[in-house]
Amino acid sequence: MDKTIVVQPEKCTGCHTCELVCSFTHTEEFNPTRSRISVINFEKIGFAFPVLCQQCGEAACMKVCPVGAVSKNAVTGAMEINDSKCLRCQMCTIACPVGATLYDPVANIVAKCDLCQGDPQCVKLCPSGAISYQAASVSSLSKRKASAARFTEVFEEVG
Amino acid sequence: MRIIIDEKPVEVEPGITILEAARQNGIDIPTLCYHEAFGGQGMCRMCMVEVKNGTSSRLVASCTYPISEEIEVRTSTPAIARIRRNIIGLLYRRAPNSEFMRQWYEKYEQPQSRLSPDVEESCILCRLCVKACEEMGSSAIAAVFRGTEKRIGTPYDDAATACIGCGACAQICPTGAIAMTESEDRRTIWNREFALVRCQKCGRPVGTGEQLEYIASKGGSALESGLCQVCRKKQAAVRVSEFYR
Repeated sequence: MDKTIVVQPEKCTGCHTCELVCSFTHTEEFNPTRSRISVINFEKIGFAFPVLCQQCGEAACMKVCPVGAVSKNAVTGAMEINDSKCLRCQMCTIACPVGATLYDPVANIVAKCDLCQGDPQCVKLCPSGAISYQAASVSSLSKRKASAARFTEVFEEVG
Repeated sequence: MRIIIDEKPVEVEPGITILEAARQNGIDIPTLCYHEAFGGQGMCRMCMVEVKNGTSSRLVASCTYPISEEIEVRTSTPAIARIRRNIIGLLYRRAPNSEFMRQWYEKYEQPQSRLSPDVEESCILCRLCVKACEEMGSSAIAAVFRGTEKRIGTPYDDAATACIGCGACAQICPTGAIAMTESEDRRTIWNREFALVRCQKCGRPVGTGEQLEYIASKGGSALESGLCQVCRKKQAAVRVSEFYR
């Protein structure tokens, strides 16, 4: 079964390291606005949550793409954008329910988490272990289902 | 099927174009009007190659030539070099202000020419915009008039009724010939003004109403939230935070 990035917000300190790692890995620049993962901090209640692509099965980005440039990587299970096919119409950036696809005007590409080809760097360098890359075992699957239930209101459909 | 490209024998699927076969095998053929999203159009003629079948030999556009026989292809001969140089020489003079055409012009050494550049123009008629619009399902623009008058436009140059204001045409245009302007709450493209839908939370423009309708028609979700990309992230985090309170 595909491995996936699992977020445990109770461990996240809101340090934004993942954003820097992500942008540096993909753009060779420490620039959170070009990162595919974003930490949302709620300082008053002491809560932080890294938002990133959920690699949905029936993905909105894939559904709205007019040219079929979004497809699932058979090895990593990541939904990937084929840059040379992409028209840059940016419909997917409007359609994503969690806002996890973004247009990068510097590189002129639509960027989203591609699980770093199966070796996610944000997971490697997260100092508190709030993001992990796990195979979906029975226990992690139930965890995923629990977190999926939390997303019920965000997503229209939960697989 | 076995064909020969530049003296190199290669194995190809019957039915694919010469251009695809060449690129699959690491042989570069220059193109201006080809895009992976919709393939070749045979418009720009930059991809001309020489095809030898038995004893006869002819020049074809490789992007629209499907391989059905065991042919021999040459991608760079003096005749092809001359064709490409002429195409670039003419197109550069149509779009002298574009960085894109200037780069091509420098790549293809040009002989002295009496032609003067058209400083007003920047479109090279590659039709990438027309194809992109077609892919979006809008087909709001097309090539209008013929010959030297040919240009890209909307029917009767009126405000494009079929346009959804997505700007895919302006994005794909290699020479920046399509003007799309955005003010506080309006986007103008192809003689048409679109009212921009704003994020309900931060007020940032999300897109045109027609774009949102397009997404809804394709089965995209969560649009009722009326939020911009950044606020949708925040919303997701807020929802999760409620479970941890």
